[in-house]
Amino acid sequence: MKEIVMPGDLLFDKPVRQENTFVENGKTYATVMGLFEREKGAVVSLEGAWSPRIGDIVVGIVTGSKNSVYEIELSFFGRAILIGSKYDRQTYKIGDVVESEVKDIENRKTLILWRPRVLYGGTILEVKPTKIPRIIGKNDTMVQQISALTKTTIVVGNNGIIWLKGGNIGLATTAIRTIEDEAHTSGLTERIKQMLETNATK
Amino acid sequence: MASKADRPQLIIGGKRLDGRMPNELRPIRIESSILKNADGSAYLEWGNNRVLAAVYGPKEALPKHMADPAKAIIKCKYAMAPFSSMGEHGRSGPNRRAIEISKVTKEAFENVVLLNDFPGSEIDIFIEILQSDGGTRAAGITAAAVALASAGIHMRDLIYAVSVGKVGEELILDLNMLEDNYSDCDMPMAISPRNGNLVLLQMDGNLTKEQMSRAIEMASEAGKTITRIQKEALQDVYKKAGARSQNGNGV
Repeated sequence: MKEIVMPGDLLFDKPVRQENTFVENGKTYATVMGLFEREKGAVVSLEGAWSPRIGDIVVGIVTGSKNSVYEIELSFFGRAILIGSKYDRQTYKIGDVVESEVKDIENRKTLILWRPRVLYGGTILEVKPTKIPRIIGKNDTMVQQISALTKTTIVVGNNGIIWLKGGNIGLATTAIRTIEDEAHTSGLTERIKQMLETNATK
Repeated sequence: MASKADRPQLIIGGKRLDGRMPNELRPIRIESSILKNADGSAYLEWGNNRVLAAVYGPKEALPKHMADPAKAIIKCKYAMAPFSSMGEHGRSGPNRRAIEISKVTKEAFENVVLLNDFPGSEIDIFIEILQSDGGTRAAGITAAAVALASAGIHMRDLIYAVSVGKVGEELILDLNMLEDNYSDCDMPMAISPRNGNLVLLQMDGNLTKEQMSRAIEMASEAGKTITRIQKEALQDVYKKAGARSQNGNGV
């Protein structure tokens, strides 16, 4: 059973180290507005900024370069840099959209990226980073479903930036916005499927 | 400050001028997440006060020399709209009073926001008073707390603020403009309801030691109502989205 908790709400009478919680005087409290499951113990934030983790896939825009070190804008409060490899000749221009992976995090605010891939053309869409897991779905089911029914190529970044190209982009955008609005409701995959099918045939 | 000589009778037959009991709040209504561009926002109606609060961040701290590599910095701007019937508060814009309230609001929130979670970043709080009727700094803090929560900023608590004043020897809760101008004392406080910590305490006038502790007690009692309204406002956003999808017209 999931319940909505608010900052400062008491979760446990014992100290439990979990995401989005803090311990004071041996008791555990929530730090954000989020969904709480007592069995799992974690608070899943409903709003807020992206907290990067190593291995996260991100989509960003190249905003600067110096000695083959590229600065990537990820709508994140810190800095993200991509160090060009000496083995490949790939260079990036300012304004290029790049999909990449977080390799390392320094001081919780400087991200080192690697495994870059330039995304040519297409459009980008910014969504709330907390809704990204729902947009991806379990085992990518949700994003694959949208991709299949609208024939759009979709790359989802954990930082809240989504890149779309080809197919019915308008319908894909509507679907993503709907998921963003209703991420916390149940039976969403089925509703999105219905919506996509009825609109795709029109 | 208006002179005591022409003071109207503020308490008549145990009731105040607007018909409230001494320990009664004005009606409060809060709406959360109403500005699309802001990361978090709230609109608050507290009696005749109308307050809009918006929160941006955490984002890159600018100018760069202001950034703290170990923690986030908070910037707060309190402003009264030119049409807010500010009366004797003078002109709108960055005046002495607005700068003071911005500062105390910022310091109140520095006590509850987990600044270490966002090193080198900045959190902006904007409080705009659209219509004022006494107690706007308390209303501003209450609205800003909701806006911060709706922005997903990590906080130790959802704080609220309320003022307690004194007319003659009687303590009154939540002063309106008229009571504020003519009362013997006005004490706005911001309280963290989880442990009762005071994060803002200002006083205009004087209270005895006993009156002071009774005033804090009155504020804490009223805080239960305010906290409930704040939490309901935050939850309503999600309940509405849930209801929309149940009706099947989510698209």
